[in-house]
This record gives sequence, C-alpha cells and structure tokens, in this order.
Amino acid sequence: MTAPAPAPSHTGSRTTRLLGIAVVVGVIALVLLGFFAAPEDDEQQDAVRMIFVHVPSALFTYIAFVTTAIGSVMWLLRRSVWWDTVAGAAAEIGVLFCGLTLFTGSVWGRPTWNTYWDWGDVRLVTTLILLLMMIGYLSVRSLGGDERATATRAAVIGVLAAVILPIVNRSVEWWENNTLHQKSSLTDGNLEDMTLFTIVVGLVVWGLFFAWSLIHRFRITWLERELRVSDLDLALRERRAEGHTEDGDS
Amino acid sequence: MTETLAPQAPRPGRARGRRWIPAAIAGVVALLIVVLVWNLFTGTLFFYNADEAIERRGELGDDRFTLQGTPVGCSIVEGSQGDEPVTAFTVSFGGALVDVVHRGEPAELFEGGTPVVLDGNWVNDAPGVVGFDGLADDGWYYSSDRMRVKHDNDYINDEEYEDRLEQAADAAASGDCAA
Repeated sequence: MTAPAPAPSHTGSRTTRLLGIAVVVGVIALVLLGFFAAPEDDEQQDAVRMIFVHVPSALFTYIAFVTTAIGSVMWLLRRSVWWDTVAGAAAEIGVLFCGLTLFTGSVWGRPTWNTYWDWGDVRLVTTLILLLMMIGYLSVRSLGGDERATATRAAVIGVLAAVILPIVNRSVEWWENNTLHQKSSLTDGNLEDMTLFTIVVGLVVWGLFFAWSLIHRFRITWLERELRVSDLDLALRERRAEGHTEDGDS
Repeated sequence: MTETLAPQAPRPGRARGRRWIPAAIAGVVALLIVVLVWNLFTGTLFFYNADEAIERRGELGDDRFTLQGTPVGCSIVEGSQGDEPVTAFTVSFGGALVDVVHRGEPAELFEGGTPVVLDGNWVNDAPGVVGFDGLADDGWYYSSDRMRVKHDNDYINDEEYEDRLEQAADAAASGDCAA
C-alpha cells in the first residue's frame, strides 16, 4: 500500500475556491443562454432546453465512471490508496450525474416521446442498470471490515461497470428498433449554432463542477482515512503506555 | 479509546447487523440488475418498422405488436370509428405504407413527418373512418391504442416551419395528398 501523504487540514484551497466561483458564474451564464439566447425547436418548442442539462449530465456520467474504472484498475494493480480514493469520489459524483441524466431524460420524454419511461427501451434500461451497478459499488465500499478487501471487491465492480459503458453509449446504434432515444445529438445531430454553443457551455460548467466536487470528495475521504489511521495509532500508543504502567506497578 | 481495546464481551446485535445493510443493498441491486436485463430482452418496446410489419403480417396475425413509421402529414384525419373518437392516418417506412386508426389522445408532438411508435394489432378490414381513405388502402389497417413519438436529433428553428405545417393542414383539409 502507498504510504499516506500528510493530510490537509481542510478541503478548500485557492484552486477549489476559483473553481467554485467559476461554477457559479458558469451556471448563471448557462441559465441565461439556455432560456434567453438559445432558440426553441420547431417540433419540441421549449422542451428542447432540457438538452442543456441532460447532455452534459450524461457525458460526465461516463467520464466519472471511467475515472472510477481507472482508479479501480490502479488499486488492483498497485494497491494505490490515492487511486482507490479517486475511484470512490468519482463514483459518488457519477451516481449523482447518472440520476440527474435519468431524471431530466424522463421529464424531457413526457412532452416529446409521450411517456416518462419505457421498460423495454434499451437506452433507458441500460442506463438504469449502470446506475444500480454504481449504487452497488458504493454499497460495497461502505461495507465494514478489512479496508483492503473492501477496496478490492469494489474495484472489481468498478471495472465491470465500465464494461457496460460502451453498451449504454452505443445502444441507440446497435438496437435501433429497441429504443425511442434519438442518436447522439453532438456527433450526428443537426443543431442551431446557439444551441450547440449553449451545450458546449453546459459541458464546461459540468466539467468545472465535476473537478470541484471530485477534489472536495477526494480530500474528505482522504481526511477520514487519515483520522482512522491516527485514531488507531493513538489507541495503540495509549495501550502500550498502559502496558508499561502495569509493568512498572508490578 | 483505551476502553475499546480492552478485552470485551462480544456485542452481537445492532453494530454487527448494520454491517449487513450495505451487503443487503448490494444484493437487492444485483437482483434488480438481473430483472432489468431479463426485461430488456423480453421488453415490449421492440418494434417492427412499417415495411417489416407488412412483410410479417401473416405470422403476426392479430397478435399485439409495436409498429414504427412516419405519419404522412396530409393523411391525418380526426374522426370516429363507430361511436369512438379516433385519429386516422397513414405511416410510411422503407417505401411501405400502413393505414392506422389510433384510439385515445395522440401524442403532443404527433404530426406529419415525425416518426411514431404505436402499440396495437393488425385488423383485416377497412378502417371505416369517415373522411379517411388511407394511402395504403390494402384492406388492412393497424389498430393502435398507445402512441409514442420517436423524434430525431435535429434541433433547428426553421422560420418557414409554421408555413409548411399550414400547407400540410390545408392539403389534408382538401383531401389532396399530392400537395
């Protein structure tokens, strides 16, 4: 196991504060662009504005879970606590983004597809499976017991979840007759310039938020681990001191 | 901390039981995944495009299945079949045409040129909707009771869009599909 680095005293830093400010400014810009600058769609009218939240959420769900998979592989290969912590932090944010993707997709689907959900739809169901796998991953991480064994079990799930990422992403191409979901808007779609620009702004904002929350979650998890280790060290020192006292007494 | 390291009697119950909560969640999640995968492979959404549905008409019989096609704008008629209000229209896909009689409210985005996914079955009869001749007019129609819209990934704001919709509506009103 990699030797733990000195723990920071708090999770904020100049970088995270700048990132946080950038996220707030970005969200304000995104709201203004999304509601006032981007045009409505011929068919979907205002419902199309959901794309400015849905697409960045979906893309950063993939990025978060790929980060988890990379961290999991690094744990399995090198037993790197740093990477294991990154994997866990990315998974938490990925679950948030994945849930948001499903929610916004569902709300968008009602006026456009005429349904919130379809249990036979390959894109919807594979995304739900991905979400459940990552909830399972987090559940396994929170199991008590030997931390190394827990990290290893979680890492295996993290890698397995990454295997279904391409299935989720390509499902609309591979099973065209099994989905209501349109093909990729960014790579295959026909977008108005301002719509595309607003989506790109959304991606930047989501990227900044991902970085900000990943750094904070990483530091929190790292500090928690440091606390556990220092608590154990303290307890051992006290026990030893107690032993010496007993020896002296006898 | 010292007390916790001293030999203690085993503490069965809550603390130990709590460790199984995440395990139980993981188990339930695993079970859900199995159910969802099974559902995916036996799901009801799988649809036949209009040309495939016509090709398989014999084997489908009056079984319920899902059909996908693009409504022909000028064919859309709001009418009634017997006493029941319906929307009748023709869908096309791969050069094939299917006449459809849909019971219930059409989807919000239902319009000519935007593909729909319908649940229903073949009926070997004329549609019997006043004012609807049907572009397929082959002695069959598809009786539908659920409609979803399969919109594409074009997000455009065409200034002439409303004009084109009006032209299609006028053509439907005049019964002139060639327009």
